[in-house]
Amino acid sequence: MIETAAALEPTFGGPLLVLAILLPVVGVLLSFVLGGRFAERVALALAPVGLVLALAIAFLVWRSGAPVVYNIAGLAPPLGIALRADGLSGVMLVTAALIVAAAGFYARATFATPEGSTEARAPFAFWILLQGIWAALILLFIGADLFNLYVGLELLTFAAVPLVCLSGKPETLVAALRYLMFALFGSVFYLLGAALLYGAYGTLDIVLLSGRVAPLPAVWLAAGLMTAGLLAKTALFPLHLWLPPAHANAPAAASAVLSGLVVKGSFVVVVRLWFYVLPALPGDAAQVFLGALGSAAILFGSVLALRQPRLKLLIAYSTLAQIGYLFLIFPLASGQHPWTIDGWNGGLMQTLSHAFAKAAMFLSAGLIAESLGHDRIAEFTGAGRAMPVTFLALGLGGLSLMGLPPSGGFAAKWLLLRASVAAGHWVFALVLLAGGLLAAGYVFRILSPALADGSLVLKSPPQRSREHAALALAVVAVALGFAPQEFFDFLQIGRMAVAAQP
Amino acid sequence: MTPSTLAGLVGAALVGLGLYGLIVNPQPLRKILAFNLIGSGVFLVFGIVARKGAAAGFPFDPVPQAMVITGIVVAFAASALAVALILRLHEETGQVLLDDENPASLPSEQGAGK
Amino acid sequence: MTGSFTSPLAAALGPFLLVAALALPLAFVAAWFFAGQRRRARDLQWLAPVPALGAALLALAGGPFSFEAPALRLSLSLDRPGALLLAVAALLWIVVGAATFTYWKKWPGQRFAVCWLLTLTGSIGAFVAADLLSFYLFYALVSIPAYGLIVDDDAPETKRAGGVYMAFTILGEALLLLALALLAAGEPHGSLRIEDVVAELPTSPWRDGALALIIASFGMKIGLAPLNGWMPLAYRAAPISAAAVLSGAGVKAGVIGLIRFLPLGFALPVWGAALAVLGFFAAFYGVAIGVTQQNPKTVLAYSSISQMGVLAAALGMALAAGDASAPALVAFAAANHVLVKGALFLTVGAFAAMDWRREKWALPLAAALGLSLAGLPFTGGALAKLALKAPMGYGIAAILSYASATATALLMLHFVTRLAKTAHWGETARIPHAIPRYWPFFALGAIFLPWLLFPAVGHLSEALSLDTLWDGFWPVLIGAALALGLARWGEKLPPIPAGDTVVVAERAFKSSFALSGFFEKADARLRFFPAGGLSLVTIALILAALAAKAR
Repeated sequence: MIETAAALEPTFGGPLLVLAILLPVVGVLLSFVLGGRFAERVALALAPVGLVLALAIAFLVWRSGAPVVYNIAGLAPPLGIALRADGLSGVMLVTAALIVAAAGFYARATFATPEGSTEARAPFAFWILLQGIWAALILLFIGADLFNLYVGLELLTFAAVPLVCLSGKPETLVAALRYLMFALFGSVFYLLGAALLYGAYGTLDIVLLSGRVAPLPAVWLAAGLMTAGLLAKTALFPLHLWLPPAHANAPAAASAVLSGLVVKGSFVVVVRLWFYVLPALPGDAAQVFLGALGSAAILFGSVLALRQPRLKLLIAYSTLAQIGYLFLIFPLASGQHPWTIDGWNGGLMQTLSHAFAKAAMFLSAGLIAESLGHDRIAEFTGAGRAMPVTFLALGLGGLSLMGLPPSGGFAAKWLLLRASVAAGHWVFALVLLAGGLLAAGYVFRILSPALADGSLVLKSPPQRSREHAALALAVVAVALGFAPQEFFDFLQIGRMAVAAQP
Repeated sequence: MTPSTLAGLVGAALVGLGLYGLIVNPQPLRKILAFNLIGSGVFLVFGIVARKGAAAGFPFDPVPQAMVITGIVVAFAASALAVALILRLHEETGQVLLDDENPASLPSEQGAGK
Repeated sequence: MTGSFTSPLAAALGPFLLVAALALPLAFVAAWFFAGQRRRARDLQWLAPVPALGAALLALAGGPFSFEAPALRLSLSLDRPGALLLAVAALLWIVVGAATFTYWKKWPGQRFAVCWLLTLTGSIGAFVAADLLSFYLFYALVSIPAYGLIVDDDAPETKRAGGVYMAFTILGEALLLLALALLAAGEPHGSLRIEDVVAELPTSPWRDGALALIIASFGMKIGLAPLNGWMPLAYRAAPISAAAVLSGAGVKAGVIGLIRFLPLGFALPVWGAALAVLGFFAAFYGVAIGVTQQNPKTVLAYSSISQMGVLAAALGMALAAGDASAPALVAFAAANHVLVKGALFLTVGAFAAMDWRREKWALPLAAALGLSLAGLPFTGGALAKLALKAPMGYGIAAILSYASATATALLMLHFVTRLAKTAHWGETARIPHAIPRYWPFFALGAIFLPWLLFPAVGHLSEALSLDTLWDGFWPVLIGAALALGLARWGEKLPPIPAGDTVVVAERAFKSSFALSGFFEKADARLRFFPAGGLSLVTIALILAALAAKAR
């Protein structure tokens, strides 16, 4: 276990953590006050600043090799609230900043305030919500207090739900309402669990809890309730009822953020819960159960993706499958075995590469829908020649989803596969392979008609700069496949299970 | 029966009632009410937790109270957002149902229906 | 390995050439994405494999060398088996590339050209990769972009061939990945070098699983029956140039895979025997189905299945005996196949584009080229058979290998007959002028070039002894007699669809779609709100119960 006292001490650079959260919050407030087209300018201006902050935090974590800690108002837990950034936080912060920036850049064309008017409802809402999501994600990635994380989760939901129904069409309103209802369902479960934990130990600080948690009925129940609530927000099969309609109907830039980042927010909290708060629990069976749900999600989501007639729905169902891969981290990285290093790195690599690949794919899908006027896959014949860069981005994202080299998806699959072989979890190894085959099937379904010869009249050619935004994200997903060993060492910083090893 | 046991039982009952409503009732407005019921149950549990703090030497543990206040604000915001969505949906379609009996209008089946 | 000594020149220049061999094709790929460079890229891309050829010749002359880039986790090395295959593969890519991209301007287009370069990169890389991940990368590169070479028109048959090819390829990749994971798991020090993991394989707890997966995944690549279904469809659909490089060079990625990943210095009798049986089965199965085929390209595809079966059988025998000298010998035989099969596909193109009745020498030359595969004396094929003699031994395997030579002679004469009967069968649109014009040189080169390489693995005097000549001659004679019989009674053979077993597999695959309807129904149920809510409560309770369960 990490030296509890040391992990509670504020470290050099801690104030950067507060700054990272405050930045988008200030952006939201400024956008409100200035209104109109300033919302867009504020959001786009703050994105690079946020990226620099995220990189600075990651750099500090890397240089010290230990988490960066800050106690809000100088009050140490249990009375105060701490913020803590470790390797996991570092990479997630940078990922969020990059994807938010790319989505914002891409969305300029769709959500520009029209000339002549001072304010339009949809653009104004979009830019504020985008910054709101970003703030909530940062809070989730560096929050060190389970109640603080609850607030972050709620903030994330409240910002994400309206994004789904920006267009105001009835079907998007239904999708948003289902999303909200189910997310609230999850929230109360999480809150109930948190109350039980607080009742048992008098603190919700992650580091303090990790030192105190013992196998008690209140803890069992809290673990079940909190995890289930988070799974509902992550849309792990079979709790995915809200995801396909919500992700498929949102505007492309919003879908990219929802699919790439928002589901990862609650996933990171599950990781915090099981690997940081509850490692003392003899939870092997529960971890395998989470892995089993993930496996079911991989197979189920992939098969359904194979059957979707529309591109955005296909990508949404593929998200369902890819979320399943994330949950293989629980059986493969729990306990104190040599293979857990691979399992942990593989799970996080999957988180990152899916975020970039999926965001790139949704952005490309948006361009395709705009240029063709529809997104029916069967009618893509010849589209590859008409808009090559868009389909290149889509294809590179698909490469990573299939887990073919060179890509982050391949690196993740290879690490997870090695961990499952070493751990003797054969079923997970086979599911990993089957998922790759099915993913190849649905990617092939998109690309095969698009690459065929055919004459196709575009309604409007895609904007070059927006194509490049999608391509840049796809290239990052591929480039992750070349991550050096130092990158994987970074992911291990602050990982408690490892620290517990002699 | 001590007050905390009573509060605990009432909290549990509220959570149970709310759960039933949230799962079974098809009306979104009722679901929101059910969600608030569960919320109240959870806040009661927090209340008992605060009393436990008294055993540790404080007259009251202030942290759960802060949490309850925050929780109430969050639940209020959630309810407001949900009601706004319901109103908007009612304006657009004249009815508000989460599970449409007619599957053709569920978004995911649209492509097939087109 | 005889040549472990490396000359100073090879040690100094070799690593540089290895990197250039991979970097140059990729640079051409990049050039295609800049509008200003496209024309130049197109005109010059046939030169892309030149550094690879240089590296291979240097390794053959000066001994093995390697290149390490730990930061990229890339390690490359070129030993004798790799160099033999790389030399002829690079030559084939250059020759066919020159014919395809310099003499004909209307075809091929950008997609074909880029897929060509990517497949070429993979083909080179598979021969030089020295660690698991690099090998997997190049193996994927030689397999997947080849889709763009095969599917070059919109005919439904072509699309079907492409779909079947992709299904086999992706499944093979998945099996290989699991095999590599098992190999890596069996290596206690965490090394990912191929030679390290294979050295640990015989004692690894995952040995049997890894070997089965290795044989299955590379077997799919080389069309080892019954995993052969994709090959006839793909070669029939592909343009001549693509079929030539894929059947010649592309498939050898599977052969080098078997050579590299089977622990050949270590006797594993059961696995060796199993592979030999599979290989011989494929050798005769390919001929049996091949003689029922009418399209010359399909006949050649079945000949590839048969020839790859012979190579697999030789590797199987070597594995059973623990024969460490087999890699170079099998690589030589495979190198001969690279040249001959490439030239045979070009023959199909040449005959389609020229009037062979006027060129009296054309048919005999085609026959000599084909019979080279059967080991006709003085051809490269005779040397290939000589090379395989040691691994095959003197027992039943030796008899079977003579029988397979006979069968090959039969199939090749059938091919020549079909070639003569179906000349002018219309596929001239995608045959560059250079192929009929220079075809005699290609054919003669394929027949005689192996003589230059043979000193790397054996003695030429042995090849010219009377015994050897007679050994090469009589199977061809019997094969010719059988071919006469086939010409006479061949019509009575049952018609078998190209791809044979794949037809059944496709049907099974299609009917599995019905299963996915079940998934869709389940999804509709699960997405009802009450169902989701109940699942949520259930999952919470299950997790709580499991968390309570003691270890």
